[in-house]
Amino acid sequence: MPRGAAGGGALRVENLVAGYGQGTVLHEVSLHVAPGEIVTLVGRNGAGKTTLLRCVMGLHKPSAGRVLWGGSDVTAVAAHRRAAAGFGWVQDDRGVFATLTVEENLLLPKVSGGGWPLERIYEYFPALKQRRRSMGTQLSGGEQQMLALARVLRTGARLLLCDEPSEGLSPLFVDKIGEVLTQIKKDGIGVLLIEQNIRFASRVADRHYPLVDGRLQEPIANGDLAERELELLDHLGL
Amino acid sequence: MKKVSRVVAVAAASSVVLAGCSGGGPGGGSGKISDGKIVLGVLTDESGPYAELAGKGAVEAVKMAVEDYKAQYGSKAVTQKIDVVDADTQNKPDVANTKAAELYDRQQADVVLDVPNSAAALSVATQAKNHKKLYIDISAASTALHGASCNKYTFQYAYDTRMLAYGTGTAVTKNGAKNWYIVYPDYAFGQDMQKSFTAAVGTAGGTVQAHDPTPFPGQDFSTYLLKAKSASPKPDVLGIMQAGGDLQNLVKQYNSFKLADAGIPMAVGLMTLTDIHSLGPDAFAGVEFTDPWYWNFDATNRAWADKFQARTGKRPTFVDAANYSAALQYLKTVQTAGTDASDSVVKGLEGAKVDDLFGRGGTIRAADHLLVHDAYLAKVKPAAQVSTDWDYEQIVQTIPGDQAFAPAAESGCKL
Amino acid sequence: MTNFLEQVFNGLVSGSFYALLALGLAVIFGILGVVNFAHGAFYMLGAFGSWLALDKAGIGFWPALLLVPLALGLFGALLERIAVSRLASLDPLYNFLLTFGVTLVLQDLVVRFYGVGSQPYSAPKELQGTISLGLFDYPKYQAFVLVAALVVCSAVWLAFTRTRVGMVVRAATERPDVARALGVDVRRWIAPVFGFGIWLAGLSGVLAAPMRSVNPLMGSDLVITVFAVVVIGGLGSVSGAVIAGFALGLIEALGELYAPFLAQVLVFVVMAAVLLWRPAGLFGRQEVRA
Repeated sequence: MPRGAAGGGALRVENLVAGYGQGTVLHEVSLHVAPGEIVTLVGRNGAGKTTLLRCVMGLHKPSAGRVLWGGSDVTAVAAHRRAAAGFGWVQDDRGVFATLTVEENLLLPKVSGGGWPLERIYEYFPALKQRRRSMGTQLSGGEQQMLALARVLRTGARLLLCDEPSEGLSPLFVDKIGEVLTQIKKDGIGVLLIEQNIRFASRVADRHYPLVDGRLQEPIANGDLAERELELLDHLGL
Repeated sequence: MKKVSRVVAVAAASSVVLAGCSGGGPGGGSGKISDGKIVLGVLTDESGPYAELAGKGAVEAVKMAVEDYKAQYGSKAVTQKIDVVDADTQNKPDVANTKAAELYDRQQADVVLDVPNSAAALSVATQAKNHKKLYIDISAASTALHGASCNKYTFQYAYDTRMLAYGTGTAVTKNGAKNWYIVYPDYAFGQDMQKSFTAAVGTAGGTVQAHDPTPFPGQDFSTYLLKAKSASPKPDVLGIMQAGGDLQNLVKQYNSFKLADAGIPMAVGLMTLTDIHSLGPDAFAGVEFTDPWYWNFDATNRAWADKFQARTGKRPTFVDAANYSAALQYLKTVQTAGTDASDSVVKGLEGAKVDDLFGRGGTIRAADHLLVHDAYLAKVKPAAQVSTDWDYEQIVQTIPGDQAFAPAAESGCKL
Repeated sequence: MTNFLEQVFNGLVSGSFYALLALGLAVIFGILGVVNFAHGAFYMLGAFGSWLALDKAGIGFWPALLLVPLALGLFGALLERIAVSRLASLDPLYNFLLTFGVTLVLQDLVVRFYGVGSQPYSAPKELQGTISLGLFDYPKYQAFVLVAALVVCSAVWLAFTRTRVGMVVRAATERPDVARALGVDVRRWIAPVFGFGIWLAGLSGVLAAPMRSVNPLMGSDLVITVFAVVVIGGLGSVSGAVIAGFALGLIEALGELYAPFLAQVLVFVVMAAVLLWRPAGLFGRQEVRA
């Protein structure tokens, strides 16, 4: 399987249908994320955003449709192999391991080419270095979010699937996340971002996909956001 | 054709009337046998903890009794159709209760035998009373079966806790162990045993300085063993009332905590041949206990034990022998009565003398339906003295039945 | 005082079995989310296996201590591959029922071939007799069991906290999906961890053989208490299982000493009290996922 960088690193989702039991959550969803592009999914709670991310990561089995990575079909590939192929997932609750120290959280991922070495992580996130012996959940919410991002950078992911990284954080940490995402974009990594905070989304993203009741709407280019903001807020139910 | 069937119908009807009026007199004729056959139901533990003590061995013993009965009476036998059916209680009282009803109702059992576990036996006794069919208890030791819970159709044939306590408690106390420390499993059987032993020790002039209940079933008894070891004054003997797996756990730990070396020998309330076989005789060497029957006691027992071993591959336990004896006694009574009608058989059994390999010098007491027979004080041989397989016991003393069992007046049974 | 100390030792010895068994249950529950009902049956097979090894092949206690748990561990891993893993995607109840069925099959097989009676097994010559512990003499074998359990529990604890394998298993136990998304092949670890849990059960069984009755039902009585230990320690918590195991052995022994009327129910009284106070157990984490 090609790693993202070599194969162009484009994610393409085609006609994806997924659900739980008899209920369908996602209806024929198609989208793409190019390398170095940040794309947001915007929608109300329960619209199917997290399910879509889990399908892309391989943690939830879609009932129809395909996930393509650099041109090859990865729909049937297991999550840990997708991770090796360049997929990275940052969970909405950050997914920090409580029974692992900060450093163990960073050492756990399988590191492949392009993964950030520990020194670079500590340089970039000095707070984590200070607290590297603490257990994962002894960190503050913001620090945990940093850890979750840092951890996925260790894997050398070429595509980040971020589930509401700014949720519940102080402005200081939101700024830091914006900084990290901008850096990632510069490195040519694609990002599929779930975000409710439109201020934050508009600062970093290239396109916005509204997701309404499991159906993806026409994307809005970031440049058009100012004039179509009301439309987007309507989709969010705000 | 029509005529013939009418004659048969009249004959059948009149025999029913006759049986009803006379209560069954002596004499042959299979017309007085219900359903035209005798069915002996062996309700025993075939998969639980008592399967070695009773189980398939007991079933086989009852089959041997049927064969011996047929061989003895030949064509004079009251009927040639005698079936032995068995059912597994799984050592669960509720299962025993259902199976007993099934045996009486669906399998037309005229008598149910055995039933290990006193709780199970008591529920079967109630079934017997309700069905007005016989139940002869073998494996269950509760005195209640011929005491407070006795009934017209229930007999207790092999032993009870009083007999176990009297034999061992009296003998050990009279031999100088005045001061007892008793451990007993905290359920009906254990509590019964504890009371019986305390009474027997007291009568013999000893005292029980402490009695500790232990969890049932138990894995680790070291706390109790150390308590006994460090008790003040030092006990002369440790009375162990546990049975089966608990007994084996306890004795293994007794040996590793060296209580014998500390001068505290053990006396075991209920021990069976299979218990000794399980741990090996050295684990119990020198221990005295009361046995209702032992296979290697004399030539008569040995001869029967050889026949039993040829069929089952093992030596008979006292439960096997008692099942054999009870089944044979039942069949002989039916033979004499000429009918298997329950009331007649009960009448025939009451006061009957039993003198076979199990019930030496025995009488079935009419007052409480207990078979009073000789019991034995036995001692476990050390492995070095065991000459043949399963030859684990040395009989020290024969305890006459009227000493081993309490007088009928004390039973509290009102039939 | 001496008497009290001796009883403390007794408690720790019976706690050794609780700790080893609960540790195996906790490890299996952690990685699979399955309560392995068959744990008691494997404990029984450990003890029965030692007797069989001695009786049929003349293999003594020491080699049996190595071989029997190993064989059972491999069997456990195989069982996971061919049966447990097939039900893993369904409700955990299915696997609970499966392991319940395995218990019945294993017990009945032993009963079928060797009967319900117990089999003789004694401690090796060098562990018979007593050893002086200063204030009192204590049976050598019982002391050996305590030391062995402490060594095994410490080794497992070290492996869990200090090695990469331990780290991976901890992560896979806590958040399997996150671990997978970080490139860890969680499924690869399930069979070995399951097998390891069974190894621990088998080891406890071999250790029990010289001091307890070796019979087909020996595990079914014990496993209920061990479930209580795991619940007290916190489901899936490795250190919780070990600490609760030793603590419960101790509480039981002292309870038998000072409050014999409570002995029968003490474990469950402690369990109920702990659950009222901390519903996730002493060392358990509250469920964070919705």
